[in-house]
Amino acid sequence: MEVGPHIVSAFDKDLVAIQARISEMGGLAEDMLSLAVDAIRSRDVALAEQVIRMDDRLDALELEVEDVAQVTIALRQPMAQDLRDLLAALKIATTLERIGDLSENIARRAIYLAGRKRVRLSSSIVRMGRQTSQQLSEVLNAYIARDTEAARGIWLRDVELDDTYNALFREVVTYMMEDPRTIGLGSQMLFVAKNLERIGDHTTHIAESVYYIVEGEPLGDDRPKGEPLSLEILE
Amino acid sequence: MNIVVKDASLADTEIKILARDVNVHYGTTQAIHNVDVDISDKMVTALIGPSGCGKSTFLRCLNRMNDTIDSCRITGQILLDNQDIYDREVDPVLLRARVGMVFQKPNPFPKSVYDNVAYGPRIHGLVNSRSDLDNVVEKCLKRAALWREVKDRLHEPGTGLSGGQQQRLCIARAVATAPEVLLMDEPCSALDPIATAQIEELIDELRLNYSVVIVTHSMQQAARVSQNTAFFHLGNLVEYGETTKIFTNPEDQRTQDYITGRFG
Repeated sequence: MEVGPHIVSAFDKDLVAIQARISEMGGLAEDMLSLAVDAIRSRDVALAEQVIRMDDRLDALELEVEDVAQVTIALRQPMAQDLRDLLAALKIATTLERIGDLSENIARRAIYLAGRKRVRLSSSIVRMGRQTSQQLSEVLNAYIARDTEAARGIWLRDVELDDTYNALFREVVTYMMEDPRTIGLGSQMLFVAKNLERIGDHTTHIAESVYYIVEGEPLGDDRPKGEPLSLEILE
Repeated sequence: MNIVVKDASLADTEIKILARDVNVHYGTTQAIHNVDVDISDKMVTALIGPSGCGKSTFLRCLNRMNDTIDSCRITGQILLDNQDIYDREVDPVLLRARVGMVFQKPNPFPKSVYDNVAYGPRIHGLVNSRSDLDNVVEKCLKRAALWREVKDRLHEPGTGLSGGQQQRLCIARAVATAPEVLLMDEPCSALDPIATAQIEELIDELRLNYSVVIVTHSMQQAARVSQNTAFFHLGNLVEYGETTKIFTNPEDQRTQDYITGRFG
């Protein structure tokens, strides 16, 4: 349904204020993720530290979204799509904040990895990182455009990221079995990969919110997911 | 997966009033166009819409209050328990005892609190003795959540009560004829928030015994008290459905625009 301006224009200003903060959070989360992956690739400690500092701003923005949303609900009694917009904004703000936390965690591990010897596994992590970044950008675009088809596409496609994660897991475990001295480093890699996989899951939560805002009903609860990881390679 | 919490749905309830193809003209002006509505029994149905949309006109069709307006012409069918209320056989006075009405401004008779409530049962011959009448008055005042406040001043004038009390007195008067349907035309618009909350609580209790149809300008009130909501615009019934659905995910653009405050 088309959405025109409200009779009370201050209501529109509140909604725009929330939208602007979500957009800023989205941009920040995107930057944190891609810079954290860059920090792993380029073994750049300063870059990783920059990512860690960016998380403060993201946390502050989440609080601002909650604040404006609370006031808007109390003062304007939003209905229908307006209400869904606000509820979704709250959820998306929380989700983006978590994506920030996971990116920050990747940055911390980048600092550890920068101090160890370079391994070929890094390039697989960087590839998975780009795939995750791409998915995050797409879902944020779908949110801005309220594009349910794009949102649904991302939601269905996340299984590919799960597959990448499983392949990477096997690769790292094989690597660690070949040379037990790499277990410490490999474990760090596994955590990075797991963080990326979690970020992928969070993009599907945002996709669900986009669908809910527009359609007023949930996208579904049968999202395709990757096979649970088996450890048969260890046997 | 359906997340809408269903209190009741239109489909699985008994229909108390069935309106079909209702058109209302005031002289040459058409106020209502081809309205079809099923009013469920023992539920609250809210009629919402901007001023002049026809919601009050439609409400007044349901107990033939429009008969008193000479230029008003009504076509179509309105059935109460499958009986056409516009049938020549139907006595509008008896109809209005079955379909009671509460108005926007409290309008107690210039009589005592007691006599306001006793009026209907007396003229309709519903009671045989003074003690019967006492019982009816007490029961109705209790049902209208007013008894505690007026039991010691039953013989003082009804017009001396506060606005909220007067409105509850009018509700007590309306239920005194043992109606089956209660029509309410913006019953809280002249009341403060406390009195409004009391009336809303009362409406929720009344629906155990009656079918309630309420016209309201407060969408929050419609959302709070009703199970079904009908949205009128320019004399047309635009959308009718479960209140939860109308206020969270309406089908029609005009409904969405109205409830989200995008046009008046």
